[in-house]
Amino acid sequence: MKLKDLKADVEENSLQQALPLEKPESRLKEMWEALRENNAAVVGLCIILFLILVAILAPLIMPYDPNLSDMSKSFLKPGPDHWFGTDQLGRDILSRIISGARISLTVGLSAVVISLTIGVVLGSIAGYFGGKADIIIMRFMDMMLAIPSILLAIAFMAALGKGIDKAVIAIGLVSIPEYARIVRGSILSVKENDYVQAARVIGNKNSRIIFKHILPNVLSSIVVRATLGISTAVLDTAALGFLGLGVQPPVAEWGDMLGRARGFIFTAPYTLIFPGLAITITVLAFNLLGDGLRDALDPKSRKN
Amino acid sequence: MKGNKRVLALALSAVLTLTGLAGCGQSDKSAGSTAGASGGGAKSRAQDTIIYAQGADPRGLDPALVDDGESGKVIVNIYEGLLKYSKDSTQIEPSLAEKWDISDDGLTYTFYLRKGVKFQDGTDFNAEAVKINIDRQLPPKVTEDMVYAGFVFGSVKDVEVVDDLTVKINLTAPSTPFLNNLAMCMGAPMISPKALEENGNNVNEHPVGTGPYTFVSWTKGQNIVLKRNDNYWGEKAVTTNVIFKFIPDNSARVVALNNGEADIIDGIDATVVQQIEGSGNKIYKAQGMNINYLAYNTTKAPFNDVKVRTAISQAINVPELVQSLYQGYAEPATSVLPTFIPGYDASIAQVAFDQAAAKAALAGAGVSKLHIITYTNPRPYNTANGQALAEAIQGYLKNVGVTATIDAFDWTTYKEKVKAGDYDICFYGWIGDNGDPDNFMNLMADKDPRMNVARYDNAAYKELIAKGLTIPNGDERNKVYTDLEKMAAKEAVWLPISHATTLVGYRSNVKDFNYHTTGVIFLSEASKD
Amino acid sequence: MLKYIVKRILMLIPVLLGVSVIVFLIMRVFSPDPAPIVLGQHATAETVEKWREANGLNSPIYIQYFDFIKGAVTGDFGTSYYTKTPVMKEIMSRFPATIELAIAAIILASIIGILIGAISAVKKNSIFDNSGMILALIGVSMPIFWLGILLIILFSGILHILPSGSRIDPLLQPYGGTGFYMIDTLVSGDMEAFVDAVKHLVLPALALGMYSMAIITRMTRSSMLDTLNQDYIRTARAKGIKDGRVITHHALRNAMIPVTTVIGLQLGSLLGGAVLTETVFSWPGIGHYTVECILKSDFPVVQGIVLLIACIFVLINLVVDIFYAFLDPRIKFSKKEA
Repeated sequence: MKLKDLKADVEENSLQQALPLEKPESRLKEMWEALRENNAAVVGLCIILFLILVAILAPLIMPYDPNLSDMSKSFLKPGPDHWFGTDQLGRDILSRIISGARISLTVGLSAVVISLTIGVVLGSIAGYFGGKADIIIMRFMDMMLAIPSILLAIAFMAALGKGIDKAVIAIGLVSIPEYARIVRGSILSVKENDYVQAARVIGNKNSRIIFKHILPNVLSSIVVRATLGISTAVLDTAALGFLGLGVQPPVAEWGDMLGRARGFIFTAPYTLIFPGLAITITVLAFNLLGDGLRDALDPKSRKN
Repeated sequence: MKGNKRVLALALSAVLTLTGLAGCGQSDKSAGSTAGASGGGAKSRAQDTIIYAQGADPRGLDPALVDDGESGKVIVNIYEGLLKYSKDSTQIEPSLAEKWDISDDGLTYTFYLRKGVKFQDGTDFNAEAVKINIDRQLPPKVTEDMVYAGFVFGSVKDVEVVDDLTVKINLTAPSTPFLNNLAMCMGAPMISPKALEENGNNVNEHPVGTGPYTFVSWTKGQNIVLKRNDNYWGEKAVTTNVIFKFIPDNSARVVALNNGEADIIDGIDATVVQQIEGSGNKIYKAQGMNINYLAYNTTKAPFNDVKVRTAISQAINVPELVQSLYQGYAEPATSVLPTFIPGYDASIAQVAFDQAAAKAALAGAGVSKLHIITYTNPRPYNTANGQALAEAIQGYLKNVGVTATIDAFDWTTYKEKVKAGDYDICFYGWIGDNGDPDNFMNLMADKDPRMNVARYDNAAYKELIAKGLTIPNGDERNKVYTDLEKMAAKEAVWLPISHATTLVGYRSNVKDFNYHTTGVIFLSEASKD
Repeated sequence: MLKYIVKRILMLIPVLLGVSVIVFLIMRVFSPDPAPIVLGQHATAETVEKWREANGLNSPIYIQYFDFIKGAVTGDFGTSYYTKTPVMKEIMSRFPATIELAIAAIILASIIGILIGAISAVKKNSIFDNSGMILALIGVSMPIFWLGILLIILFSGILHILPSGSRIDPLLQPYGGTGFYMIDTLVSGDMEAFVDAVKHLVLPALALGMYSMAIITRMTRSSMLDTLNQDYIRTARAKGIKDGRVITHHALRNAMIPVTTVIGLQLGSLLGGAVLTETVFSWPGIGHYTVECILKSDFPVVQGIVLLIACIFVLINLVVDIFYAFLDPRIKFSKKEA
C-alpha cells in the first residue's frame, strides 16, 4: 500500500477501501436504507431540511426587515417584540439570522459545487490517465495544500473584494485539492478492476469510461465528502465574515454578525450568542449527516 | 515496537507537563494579582511602572516615517519638537526653541534654541541638528514614504544655521499654519543626528530624542518599554517605567484594565463605561481633533442642487444616529471644526432634522434612488466603520422614500473609487494634523478629489481660504474660518456627523496623565499611588 | 531511507516555487495598491507614483518575481512597506508565539483526545462514550472564534481566573532568549513568569485545539475499536491477562499508529486556525499579523510568511510520513512513491 494513499485512508476513516462494484442505484438505495437506521444522521437530515425550509420561506417568516436599520431601536434586549434582541443598528437579530440561513446555505452549497466539479474533473484526469497529467495536477494540488486554506481564502477575498459571489469563489477554490485527491484515490482503486478493463477492451472512449463506469462507483465517497465539505464551507464563510471579509452590506451573514458584535461581548452578549449558535447548529447538522452517510457506506460497520 | 514505546513516552511526558501546568495554574487564584501582590521587589516595580494599553503596534518610532496615532502616543514621550501645544488646546508654546521671530513678509522664521539640551544618546541638541532633521525631509533628500514631510515642511525653502543656538527657516510663501506644524508629533520632532546616521536614516526601531523617556525595547505585537530619561533638561518624569501594551480587541482591553493588566486604556466606547466604573476604575473623556462626515457629490445630479442636499440632510437625525452608533464615543457635530479649534463659533448650525419636509422636498425633486459608497475599515473618526454608518443612513433614507444602494470597499480601493467619482453620497473623515482651522476648512477647496470628496468648487469659498493662509493668528483670521463654516453649512456641502472623542479608562490610583486633544498622551507627570 | 528523505526534501523546492507563484499572482496582480495606505492621508498622485517606482511595482510582473526570487534565495525577503523593517525580522519576532500556541494546542488536544477516545472505545456505548462522542461532534462544529469568545466571557469576564489575551504580563516578560516563553521563563528560573505565561496560554490553546481534540478523540476511538477486535487482543484476554494491561500494553499501543498521523496532520492545520485564534485572543503571533498585512497589501511580508508556512507544512508532512513508516513495519517506502 502506498504511503500517501494510506494516509488519505486514515484521514477519511477507511472511506475508499475497495468498494464493491454494484449498480450505482442499488448502492444509493442501500445507503439510504442504512442511513434511515442511523438516528444521528436522521436528526442531521431533519435539521438540514428545517434550515432549507427556513431559507426558502425567509421572506414570509421574518418578523422584520433584516437589513433596515432603525437607530431608535439600537441594542434592545431579547423580549416579546424581538425574540433575539436587536443589534447596534436596531435591526431584529432573529430576522437577520433567518435571512443569514439563506446566505450560509447558498454559499456552502455553491462553494462545494465549484470545488466538487473542478476537483472531480482534475482528480479523474490525474487518476485515470496517470503519468504526466497526474504529476502536474497533483503537484499543483500539493502547492495549494501547502498554504492554509483560510489564508488562501483571505488573500482571495482581499484581492476580489467583498461579496457573496466572491466568497463562494474563494471558498470553492481553496477546497478543490481535497476533492481531487479523494477522486484520484478512488479511481486508482477501481481502475484496474476487470469491469473497467473490460469496458476499455470493448473500445469505450475514455470520457465514457470515466463518467459511465468509474465515477458512479466512487460516487458514494464523493457524496460523503461533499456533505462534510458543506459544513467546512459554512465554517469558512463564517470565518471570512468574522474577519470582516465576507458579504457586502447590509446583507446579514452569521460570521459578519459575530464579527461586528465582538465589541459588545459584555454589554450585549445576546448579539453574539445567537449567530454563533446558528453556525454551530448548521455545521453540526451537516456533520451528523456526513458521518451517518459514511457509516452507511462503510462495509465494516454495515456488517454490525 | 521500539517506536511505540517512544510514542507512549512522549504522551506520558506530555501528560506530566500538563498536570504540572494545571497545578501551577491553581496556585494563583487571581490573574490580576500577579503584577501587584507577589513579593516586595516585583511590587515596587509594578508601582513604578505605568502600563498603557492601546489597540495596535505603532507603525514605527521615526516621526518622519509614520502617520498613525499609535506611533504618535509613543513618539511624544521620547521626542520633542521646536514648539509644543499647550496642555489643553492647540495654541503653541516654546519647547526646544525658547523664542522665535517672524519677518514682516512672513517668509523668514528665526528660532532661538534652548541651551544645554542633550539627546538621549548624549549628543548635543543644536542648530545643526535642527537643520539635519528638516533637511532630511526636504528635496532632494526627502523620500516618498516620509508621509508628513510635504505637509509639515512643504512651504520651507531652506534652513540656515546662524550660530550654535540660532536657526533660520526660510519659506517659499507666507503660511500662518507653519508654526502649528512645528508642534506636531509627526515630521516635526527632533531626532539625534547620530542615531539617524547609525541606523541608515530610519530610526523606526531605534528612536533617540530629547524627551522625558528613553526607549528600551519593542517586542512586536506585544509592547514597547520606555525608561525615565534621567538627563532630561526639564522636569524629570515622575514614574520610572512606561510600557505601551498592544491589545487589538476593544473588549479585551477593558478586561485587561479591570483585571489590573493595564493602568490606562484607550479606544473604548460608552457601552463599557459602566463595566469599567463598576470595577472601581475611572473614565476620562478627551475631545478629538477630527470630523466624520457625509459628503454629497456636488458635481452631478441630483446633488448639484443645494435643495436636494438640504433635503437629505433633513432626513437624518444626527444626534440619534451618533448616540446609537458610537454610544457616546463621539459627539454629534454641529460644525466642521472641533470646538476647541480657533474659528469655531457656537452660532454655527447645520440643517436641522425634519423628516416631513425632507420627504416632501425629495418627492418634489423626484429623487428616489441613490448610490452610496463607503469604506469597510474602522477609522479613527468613525470607530463603527463606514459600512455601519452607511447602513444606518440607508435606514433614514428609507423613511423618506429614498432607496439607497451601498457599495463598500476596503480603504485603499475606496480611495480609488472616490477618485473615480461614481457616487451620489460618500463617507469620509479627517484627522486634524496641526490644530489649525485651515487644515479642516481647506478640504472643501482642495483640487485633489480624494481630499475634496464633495468635489465642491466655489470661487468665493476658495478666495476666503487663500486669505486665511496669509493673515497672522488672531481674531481677524478666526473670523475668516467662521465665515467659511457658515458658507459650507448654508450650502449643505457636507453633513457633518460627529467628532470622535477618546474615552480613556484608567485605574483609580493613576493620576496626572495628559491625554491631549491631538490624540496623544503625555505620561511624564503621571504616577501611581 | 536517507535517500528517501533527501529526495523528499528536494521535492520541497518545486512546491515552494509553485506556492510563491500563487502568492505572487494573488498579491501583486489582483490585490489593492499598497501605496495609499503606506503614504497616508496627504499622499499626492505624484508621490504615489514615485513610491511605486522606488519599490519596483511599476516593473513587469515577471521582473518583480525574478527580483523576489533572487532575494529569497539569499534569505532576503525585502522590507515591510508599512514599517520599513526587514521582513525576516518582522516574522521572526512573532513566529515563536504562534509555534508555542500551536504546540500547546496539539499537546492539549492529544492528551485529552486520546484519553477520551480510549475510554470511549473500552466502554463502548456507555454514557461516557455517548457524551464523549457528542462533545467531539460539537467540537468539530463550533467556529473557533465563537468558542474563543465564549471562553473569554466565561473565564475572563465572569470568573476572572484567566487573562483574556496577550502572552504574558509585560512586567514579567523575558527578553532575549528563544522567544518561547515556556522555555525562556523556565531557563531563567522565574516561576512567577512561567505561571503567568501558562495562564495566558490556556484559553487560546484550548480554543485552537478544540477541533483537533475532537478529531483525535474520534480517531482514537475507532482505531481502538479496531484493535480491540483483533485476534491477538482476544487471545491476550483469553490468556487471562488483566484487562487494563491489555488495553494499555497492546490495544492502545497499536491504535496509536494511525492516531499519530492524525496528530501530525492536525499540527499543520493548526497554523491556519491560528489566524482566528490570535485575532480573538490578541495573541501576538504570525496569524493575526498575516491578516493585517494582507489587508494592508504589505506584499513582501505576506510573501515571506506564506512561503515560511508552506515550508513548515511540507516538512511536517514529511516528518509524519517518516515517523509513520518508522512505527509501522508493514510500510515500506516503495520506489514508486513520489
